[in-house]
Amino acid sequence: MAGSHLPPAELTTSGRPVLFPHEIECFLLSNVDLESEDSQQLNFSIRLRSGLLILTTHRLILLPPDPVPPGSKGAWVPLAAISHIFSSKKSLKSMFHSPRLSFQLSVGTDGCIDTGGSVRGSRSAVMTLVIRGKADVDAFVGKFWENWRARAWEKNSEETGSSGSAGSSLGSGSGSGGFDSTGMRVVGVAGILRREQEIWESTDKSLQEAFQDLNALMGKAKEMVMLAEKMRQKLLSGSSQAGGGNDEEMGSKEEMQDWLLSVGIISPVTKESAGALYHQQLSRQLADFVKIPLERSGGVINLIDVYCLFNRARGTELISPEDLLQACSLWDKFDIPVMLRKFDSGVMVIQSKSHRDEEVFARIKTLVTRPNALRMGISASDAAITLGIAPAMAKEHLLTAESRGLLCRDVSPNGFRFYINLFPEISVDALYIVGSHGIYATWINTISTSGLG
Amino acid sequence: MRRRPGIAGLQGAAAARDQFRLLGENVAKIRTDLMKEQLATFRSQLEDFALKHKNDIRKNPAFRSQFHEMCAKVGVDPLASNKGFWAELLGIGDFYYELGVQIVEICLGTRPHNGGLINLQELCTLLRHKRKTSREAVSEDDCLRAISKLKVLGSGFEVISVGKKKLVRSVPTELNKDHNEIIELAQGQGYVTVDEVERRLSWTSGRAIDTLETLLDEGFAMIDDGHRDGKRRYWFPCVSSISSTVVTDA
Repeated sequence: MAGSHLPPAELTTSGRPVLFPHEIECFLLSNVDLESEDSQQLNFSIRLRSGLLILTTHRLILLPPDPVPPGSKGAWVPLAAISHIFSSKKSLKSMFHSPRLSFQLSVGTDGCIDTGGSVRGSRSAVMTLVIRGKADVDAFVGKFWENWRARAWEKNSEETGSSGSAGSSLGSGSGSGGFDSTGMRVVGVAGILRREQEIWESTDKSLQEAFQDLNALMGKAKEMVMLAEKMRQKLLSGSSQAGGGNDEEMGSKEEMQDWLLSVGIISPVTKESAGALYHQQLSRQLADFVKIPLERSGGVINLIDVYCLFNRARGTELISPEDLLQACSLWDKFDIPVMLRKFDSGVMVIQSKSHRDEEVFARIKTLVTRPNALRMGISASDAAITLGIAPAMAKEHLLTAESRGLLCRDVSPNGFRFYINLFPEISVDALYIVGSHGIYATWINTISTSGLG
Repeated sequence: MRRRPGIAGLQGAAAARDQFRLLGENVAKIRTDLMKEQLATFRSQLEDFALKHKNDIRKNPAFRSQFHEMCAKVGVDPLASNKGFWAELLGIGDFYYELGVQIVEICLGTRPHNGGLINLQELCTLLRHKRKTSREAVSEDDCLRAISKLKVLGSGFEVISVGKKKLVRSVPTELNKDHNEIIELAQGQGYVTVDEVERRLSWTSGRAIDTLETLLDEGFAMIDDGHRDGKRRYWFPCVSSISSTVVTDA
């Protein structure tokens, strides 16, 4: 841990920080990074990783993570040297990243922080805390602001603390500095434990409230479901009547589908309806997207692979598996060069319409009548290499070829292999007659020359 | 609408039908407006809920699980589509769809080792390892829900219970009762022998060997012939945790 420009933290023999007089620990965060942005080229660069952060009334102490790398020390930042704390923006994207908290430090001309504690430094640097561990960040931020504003280092007497933390969403009793409501000293480990306990209790209460709210919401949702069902019935029965005003009805049908989708009810794509507008648009998007992967995988691609590829490409606002299925099912209705196909085994693939089974079978036949293959058959991986498609897809094609009578399977300790089907050439009445032009003959020749006959 | 004879009567009936139909359409129209209104109300209720409890859903797997159960009872599927209000306002859609992608990746990565059958616990462990840097905790319930969504894509994604354990299948191979019984038997030591199968399940030798060979073919079992007693052991990676060597990269 390089904290060369931050004053080192004095530790006890058991690795706990030595506190200043009247300094009280307030918050503990684990797995925190501290980074500095060196925008003013102050040569003030700090990079502390995965440390333990302790917020006290006077400073921010950073300790190295356990196990402590030899020779590493803790470091600290006086709250007094902080000139500004930036408020963090909350967005949908920020949900998936570790929360960050930035503050501005005033730095003296020599690049070091004034440990005496004041904003006397002429330059400033921005430092960011990245909180990777599980923690109640809102409560921490609240306490951070509170401590910074309270300026405990200026008072030499014990704090008669603040009432409630400003930014804390839990409203946990942060109590008076040094003493809590029952007059117990809340310092050190005991204080931290007590704080954790308080957080747990208030979480419990807020969860109770959450469940109540959930119940109420579900009641409303149930109403919506019943209403949606009625509407759907009505529109479906309305479609069976031929007649004018169809456009208007179609329009409202699509709207209906969209609404059903919003509430969380998927109605299957039917002959009459084209499903929700959302799926229609997605359908076209997908058709475009899938062109390149299809080329790369030989004209056939597993549906589940498309799900992963598409979502990975999207990054956010992913689509659900059902969205994908609905969108693919719509391809029938539009003139699109790709189609969804379901094999007997249940595997679903997307293939380009120009892909012909007969062509694949012809290639398989060529592969399987080669001398090597006549002797040893082919496996799914062999077929995959020749056809230029994934082994799982190759297996599906081999199985389909088998069901069409082109191939025979052989299950042995060598694995699952396929051979050309010779039975059509063998007539029951003339079992020992070998036609001179058939594959049977070729096979016998090949086998006998290799000594396996 | 008195019934009148003759053509006039027919025309009258047709006119009456038309009138009824128009009335029906009007009723439908009114209902449409009602629906729109109800939808708006619902959405704003959901917005309020999200404002207060979005965090709880995100951070608390138990609450999340309860939420799903209640949705199921009511008859809505919050994960059905990413366009739904649920995904939009609560933001849980992306969480599960992303989880689905990661589960597929892990299953594909471990398939050479276990043939396409993986222990649910092992999957969750690998998943947590993969998601090290993410803040959100993933519970087994979350995995199960993500997998149940993947099911619809074919390719055989499914969770099956064998004995006390849950296994996640990612290949379309169907496992019948015989296969399941052997896998369950293997949970004891991680492997079975033909003798053991014959003895414990009271099967004929032929049946035991057939079933074991099929499992071997499909890649779910591995052979171990190196023991002094000369008996062949069939190991099942899906029930024994020999997963320390299989760590998929993020």
